[in-house]
Amino acid sequence: MNNKLSLLYRKDGTQKFLSSLIAILLGMVFGSILIAIVGLNDSDIGGKGVFDGIKLVFLGLFSTGMKDGSLTFGFNPSLFGDMLFRATPLIMTGLSVAVSQKTGLFNIGAPGQYLMGTTVSLMIALSIPASSVPPVVIWLLAFLGGILAGALWGAIPGLLKAFLNINEVLACIMTNWISAILTTWLFDVSRFSVFRGPATSAMGDPIVLNGSFKNLIESTKSAYVYMTNYNNVATAKLGLDKLFPGSQVNGGILVAILLAVVVYIVINKTTFGYQLKACGANRHAARYAGIQDKRNIVFSMAIAGGLAGAGASLYWLSGNTEFAWQTYQSLPAVGFNGIPVALLAINNPIGVIFSGVFMAMLNIIGTRLKALTAYNEYITDVIIAAIVYLSAFALVIRMWLGGRKKKKEAAPKPAEPAPVQPAAEKPVETSDPAVSEEQKGGAQA
Amino acid sequence: MNNQKDDFVIEMLNITKVFPGIKANDNITLQLRRGEIHALLGENGAGKSTLMSVLFGMYQPEEGVIKKNGEVVRINNPNDATKLNIGMVHQHFKLVEVFTVLENIILGAETTKMGFLQKQEARKKVEALIERYGLKVDLDAKVEDITVGMQQRTEILKMLYRDNEILIFDEPTAVLTPQEIDELMEIMRGFKREGKSILFITHKLNEIMAVADRVSVLRKGKYIGTVDVADTNKQELSNMMVGRPVQLQVVKEPAKPGQVVLDVQNLTIPSRLHHNNAVKNVSFQARAGEILCIAGIDGNGQSELVYGLTGLERPSSGKVLVGGDDITRASIHKRQAYLSHIPEDRHKHGLVLDFTLEQNMVLQRFREKQFEKAGFIRKAAVRSYAEKLIEKYDVRSGQGPVTMARSMSGGNQQKAIIAREIDRDKQLIVAVQPTRGLDVGAIEYIHSELVRERDEGKAILLVSLELDEVMSLSDRILVLYEGEIVGEFDPKQTTVQELGLYMAGAKRMDPSQMSVFKQEERKETKNEQ
Repeated sequence: MNNKLSLLYRKDGTQKFLSSLIAILLGMVFGSILIAIVGLNDSDIGGKGVFDGIKLVFLGLFSTGMKDGSLTFGFNPSLFGDMLFRATPLIMTGLSVAVSQKTGLFNIGAPGQYLMGTTVSLMIALSIPASSVPPVVIWLLAFLGGILAGALWGAIPGLLKAFLNINEVLACIMTNWISAILTTWLFDVSRFSVFRGPATSAMGDPIVLNGSFKNLIESTKSAYVYMTNYNNVATAKLGLDKLFPGSQVNGGILVAILLAVVVYIVINKTTFGYQLKACGANRHAARYAGIQDKRNIVFSMAIAGGLAGAGASLYWLSGNTEFAWQTYQSLPAVGFNGIPVALLAINNPIGVIFSGVFMAMLNIIGTRLKALTAYNEYITDVIIAAIVYLSAFALVIRMWLGGRKKKKEAAPKPAEPAPVQPAAEKPVETSDPAVSEEQKGGAQA
Repeated sequence: MNNQKDDFVIEMLNITKVFPGIKANDNITLQLRRGEIHALLGENGAGKSTLMSVLFGMYQPEEGVIKKNGEVVRINNPNDATKLNIGMVHQHFKLVEVFTVLENIILGAETTKMGFLQKQEARKKVEALIERYGLKVDLDAKVEDITVGMQQRTEILKMLYRDNEILIFDEPTAVLTPQEIDELMEIMRGFKREGKSILFITHKLNEIMAVADRVSVLRKGKYIGTVDVADTNKQELSNMMVGRPVQLQVVKEPAKPGQVVLDVQNLTIPSRLHHNNAVKNVSFQARAGEILCIAGIDGNGQSELVYGLTGLERPSSGKVLVGGDDITRASIHKRQAYLSHIPEDRHKHGLVLDFTLEQNMVLQRFREKQFEKAGFIRKAAVRSYAEKLIEKYDVRSGQGPVTMARSMSGGNQQKAIIAREIDRDKQLIVAVQPTRGLDVGAIEYIHSELVRERDEGKAILLVSLELDEVMSLSDRILVLYEGEIVGEFDPKQTTVQELGLYMAGAKRMDPSQMSVFKQEERKETKNEQ
């Protein structure tokens, strides 16, 4: 039994998982300390408020409300459902970043790819009249359109990297802002006309959508684009609404999980994934082996973009999410949050499912804090930020966890290309323990 | 002054350094006399570097003491070592690439006046040192622009600038050309004359015989013994180092060249480094059953020639034929049906270090039917293939097929590449510096494998910078100088000295004497008929 446990502990996967878990716990502890400091310095909150706040940070997902001035806890299906709904795009952007990382590229362009996916899928979903084409078909077209738009947007930095050796991070940042401006411009100048069909609107009137994508019916919402259910397009609920009544959840989360599994299989089991990884780990060796490195770099970025675009489609096609466009469009945070999601999952596509759900849970906790205590929801942003820092730290934690084991077995060599390598038969080398020694030192420091 | 023989400047007595799981140094005693060149010999992983790191204060030994001039000293960090006038040239230079040579030399020991650098003073001191020891460097050149040899001299100047009396050289010749090695030897002799004491870490026997006074041998962390170089020979030293009798000479039958396998015609390849062509109108042929060696000083177009043959670089003109098929414009993938390639740089090209051994074993072959089914990798087939290669070629690693390539020793990494390339069983093997940086045992193995492949009728194109290897392994030698073939030799009828003259460009053979050009003429006459 003991033996089995220690074997499990020594497995690489276990260590990765533990390191992420430690990062999360430390982040939440940090958040609690922060809540205490803020609360004790604010006369509106006080000791009990601090206690409630900390409770919510850890148990917010199970909060059912407040009774007689004290928090009540239990299974809250609507919070669970909302968490899954918000997790959907996070899982997709997390996958996007993870896939590019496997090929040695850093896709910081997920926000732009996400935005292009948003624009294209919303436009397709709204401009094909539901009266003449079945909404399911429109949904599918919009979904595919979102994927393609994201893929195309991801392929641009990929092409620049492969053929002109332009750093993908720079190219991604530029394409991000181009997509923001493009989105503003497209929604501003595009015109469409769709008869809304037989169903009734929120106000019960028959509607003809006309002219601009801007929501002209509810005049207070002039900066918002129509929701897709104005055209009867909405992601199927697939019974999830029965499981989690009162929430926004829909079948999108299942699509996201399915895609994560597919990405996992492609990366780990196929020759295509093998080529992608070879290019990422050592582009020169891949070329030496006859693998077309340039093509694989473009593919990798296009797939990453497609995944981010799919995330956008799954979120905005839900039917009742409203897209607020601005004349100065900002970049969607969910795109950037793909980076910590992938980081926490250590780029494992299956892990991304869980880290995406976790990040969504923090988001939900924020809403509970705002609703039930005198704190505002932004405090969870600080917790997220702390966890992001700590998840970058997860690598260090991993070395620290693996330190003892690594020293006994083969330790990784310094990355520098050494023309002369020490050591003879044994994989353990005189110079190697030094490396793990240093790493351990780093972890403790 | 008592017996000069017992005048030890540094004594490391009964040093034991334990890393978890391994005794890197097991009760090692090393005594360095004043004014001697003392070699420390051992295979990779024998504990040489660890011992020197102990002396340099980077590790603390579990047991044992260090004495300087007979007094026990504690060296807790490299700064302590510097204070005791101990200096070290590391195997991988520790220089700031974008700084000039002078800036690198004074870095960390700058003379300042009110916070301002006093470069002129430093320059005077460094120039005096250059004069005294004949160390040619350009003080104002940036380190990234100078040769490896000059970088090493910069490192040496760093030690001298700090007035070090005890100089440690960690594998200093691994990166140098034969000429630079000779220069270094001369510099070391100069230090000896000046009364400095030198510790010289190496596994190259020639260099020890050439320059050292005494040699201490380590094997697998244990101290084997110290001998006077005058009383020993290469064979005895290598037996001490490896622990068994080692074959220093390559055993092989005379070659029986068969038909032409590789036919290179007027090949010209542009250079990435400068505007001239790296390979200029080169023609030669390699036959089945022979080891043809391209000799030359590093940077005379060997790498580019190999890139041109293997597809990593596009030739601007000329033709490459293998087995009669023109592959000049073929993709790297297509060429793999014709040739195996043991690359020059095993970390850059040869292996994906973050892949497992089994993944590396199928680096070119993963698309083959036996390893792929409907786009999926047949993991079981890859595993059993890797196991077969590991067994057949004796590749040693911690966890067998699933060992990370990065965690393997250099010798076994190279063995893995050789296993993979030889097992692909192609008519031509291009082997570029196949034994670079390896110890005697591994070199012996790789040489015998290449000879066996030759005897099985493969054509082998060997590119090597080591003249010993060139002379002992090849059946025919072509010398490449500035991208051109300047001579063709039979290793049995030439000497290292003669090859050296051609390699340095001092001599040049009349093309009519070389069979490579005769064949061309023959072909032209054939065409006329």
